[in-house]
Amino acid sequence: MADIRPQDIGKPSEQLSKIENLMSLPAPYDKPGMEPGFKPLKDSWKDDYCTTLDGFVGNEALQRPKTKEEEEAFVQGFLRGLEKLFSNETNRNYLQPFLLSFEYCAKCNTCSEACHVYKASGEQEIYRPIFRSEVLRKIAKKHMKGDGFWTRFNGGDIDINVETILRLGELAYRCNLCRRCAQTCPLGLDNGLLAREIRKIFSMELGIAPKPLHEKGSMLQLKTGSSTGITREAFLDMMEFMEEDLYERTGKKYKVPIDKKGADILLTHNAGEFMAWPENPAAFTILFEEAGLNWTLSSEMIGYDNVNYGLFYDDAQTRKIGLQQVKAAKDLGVRRIVVAECGHAHKAAMVSIDRALVGEDNIPRESFLPLLLDVMKKGVYKLDPKRNNFPVTLHDPCNIVRMMGVIQPQREIIKMVAPQFREMYPHGAKNFCCGGGSGFAIMNSFNFPDFRNKVSSRMKFKQILEAFQGVMEDDAPKYVCAPCSNCKGAIRDILEYYQATAKFNVHYGGLVELVVNAMVQFDKPFLEFLDEEEWIAEHVNK
Amino acid sequence: MLLTVFIYLSIVAFIGLSLYKAYQFANMPMHGRWELYPVPKEPGERGHYGGSYYEDLEYWNKPREVSHSGEIIDMLKEMLFIKNLFVNQKRQWWLSYALHLGIYFLGLWTVLLAVGAIMELSGLPITTAEGVSSNGLASLIYYVTLISGGVGAILLGFGSIALFFKRSLNNSFAKYTTPQEYFNLFFLFAVVASGLVVWSGDPGFNYGREIFKALFTFSPVAADAALTIHILLLGAVMIYIPQTKMSHYVGKYFAFHKVLWDNDPNIRNSQMEGVIKQAISYKPKASWSAPHINPAAGQQDKK
Ligand code: SF4
Ligand code: SF4
Repeated sequence: MADIRPQDIGKPSEQLSKIENLMSLPAPYDKPGMEPGFKPLKDSWKDDYCTTLDGFVGNEALQRPKTKEEEEAFVQGFLRGLEKLFSNETNRNYLQPFLLSFEYCAKCNTCSEACHVYKASGEQEIYRPIFRSEVLRKIAKKHMKGDGFWTRFNGGDIDINVETILRLGELAYRCNLCRRCAQTCPLGLDNGLLAREIRKIFSMELGIAPKPLHEKGSMLQLKTGSSTGITREAFLDMMEFMEEDLYERTGKKYKVPIDKKGADILLTHNAGEFMAWPENPAAFTILFEEAGLNWTLSSEMIGYDNVNYGLFYDDAQTRKIGLQQVKAAKDLGVRRIVVAECGHAHKAAMVSIDRALVGEDNIPRESFLPLLLDVMKKGVYKLDPKRNNFPVTLHDPCNIVRMMGVIQPQREIIKMVAPQFREMYPHGAKNFCCGGGSGFAIMNSFNFPDFRNKVSSRMKFKQILEAFQGVMEDDAPKYVCAPCSNCKGAIRDILEYYQATAKFNVHYGGLVELVVNAMVQFDKPFLEFLDEEEWIAEHVNK
Repeated sequence: MLLTVFIYLSIVAFIGLSLYKAYQFANMPMHGRWELYPVPKEPGERGHYGGSYYEDLEYWNKPREVSHSGEIIDMLKEMLFIKNLFVNQKRQWWLSYALHLGIYFLGLWTVLLAVGAIMELSGLPITTAEGVSSNGLASLIYYVTLISGGVGAILLGFGSIALFFKRSLNNSFAKYTTPQEYFNLFFLFAVVASGLVVWSGDPGFNYGREIFKALFTFSPVAADAALTIHILLLGAVMIYIPQTKMSHYVGKYFAFHKVLWDNDPNIRNSQMEGVIKQAISYKPKASWSAPHINPAAGQQDKK
């Protein structure tokens, strides 16, 4: 359907929107054949899921009602939840920001240009930041004011049917909640917030949220202690294994302090790191131990996983997990919590849960970045930046920059260890999302990875290519530094999808790995992709 | 006399309804933090590049620095120049700014009409039978009133009708524009158009001062048909604006100050902690129904 309007969302059609002209990529990805096509939609998905929005299925918990009664219950449930967004009782925490963004949009379209999803998709109308907000407004106006002349005059002209609600349920997961659009709004309104409020209706009223976020995410975390399913025992085993691995890599025996009562610092990691990137917590261990910090990890329930997926879709889950994480710190009697390389965990622990903590629960929480910078400035580590003498660029996690204002420390750190550092543009508070934000990085059902790799991460891939223009086709390694677990996941996937590692030697990883890699006390590179005789001979001065 | 009462009513309605809107927003429960950087009240460079106190090691042990001037400057830039629109969408800014600048000029014009009326009531006429008064202050008031009124009307008239046509003719805008939004722009234009008709018969805006004199002395406004229509339209728009999203002069304040720039940290034993304690002691009287929040709701549904 060409020229789509918000009212069209409920009109029956095989597929409301189809991506045709993706934003072009710079060299060497400007040539034909450099990019895989979209995987076709399978007919078997159509009966059970919502494939009718744009042909992607991101929310596998959003299933097509089978009977008229189910349809009715689904639509009514949604409308009941919608009413709760407007209530002092059920939406206390977000009522004011929600109503402001709901009421005042001037439809000036300024925000569209800021949205990487809209731009990367070749300006598909349904991804325009105000499209989904306007659908929500129309539904709310019609539902609350009835179907009369004044409602239509006021913009409440929409069919509220099962298709409308299903498509909106998918559309809520085509926004990374990166809030870049909100930075440009002359009225200070926030389409990212509205997308999240829509997600809340589905999750908090109907129990519908993508499984990796809810069932296998926050629910699993509340049950086992981690969204990865890692239990306390498994965590302890992993730490032992990590110590052994560290010994093998560095020749030095490091002991990871666990459950040390009264420590100064409780360091919290995204538990995904233990599984996918154990070198990251390992690098933290080296840095904290070498600096002689009085720190510990926790093995208590949720104390070893700083993930809080509730942030992406559900206030109740955010709160439950946030409070449990604080409890782990309180039980240990630490002075402060330091959050390691995870963007949304930064925001969850420091910003989102901030106005729920009082008294003994109100334990100071801070980012690892100022701490690491402080230690480095004191000259604690002997560093040789030449060990990182290859092009490095830095991705800014939205949650750390735009939503928390931590921008300079990571730059000062990286400049101390990476002589060929170059910025992406734009960066800092105006950065673009990695495309994995708000849960996309772990949503891998059906063909959703295609949406992520080709659309939502496209702008980031473009920025990476631009940062490495001129050196892209050189043999030397290139490194995308992403101090965030979710961002790393999204960047790993794009580098794989576009074969950028295989073809152009582009690697990715965290910030602490880069710092450890520059430490002269080790006679082997810490970054595995540098572990080659030639590189060692040239760059690692013993 | 009815017109005098109506004018008073519309002024009271405009101010009262706007304040009521502000009161409603101000009395909403404390919300979770939802700030967005750059936050201009962060001091120095941070206010520009988007940094915050979270860049400081152990920020809770450092005195919290807030740049009120940074906040006020940013606020003024936004209020006076609609900076965000200028930076991000210049083409739309020209039209929108014309409309808003027109309103600001007309605000000034209104104040000057009132000042002129007071001067005339206190025995210093702005105009005499020979023309503009030879008194320096009176003639200054006369000419500034003339310029602000003329420029304001032209800008507002141009801005409202230009935005009306842009919304109708540009498909990306038309798709999202509700009938009411067209009506709002047209309503503003109609008020200006009726004003231009009245103005054409009295280029010195003496009728405006006469209206204020009638208001101050609570006496009948002498109005012909054109002026009566203009007063009715202007009064109606003043009653109407605060009830629509044109009241964004209220919303914008809260969106920036109470949401995007509200990054005050909750430090142990601080005043903020006290506010939070109070806020979280509230026990909501209703809940959501998903099974992970309220298992009983699911059971009830099944029954
Ligand atoms: S920039 Fe703000 S006011 Fe303009 S369309 Fe976007 S959300 Fe609405
Ligand atoms: S929050 Fe980000 S992804 Fe969502 S609409 Fe705004 S700019 Fe686009």
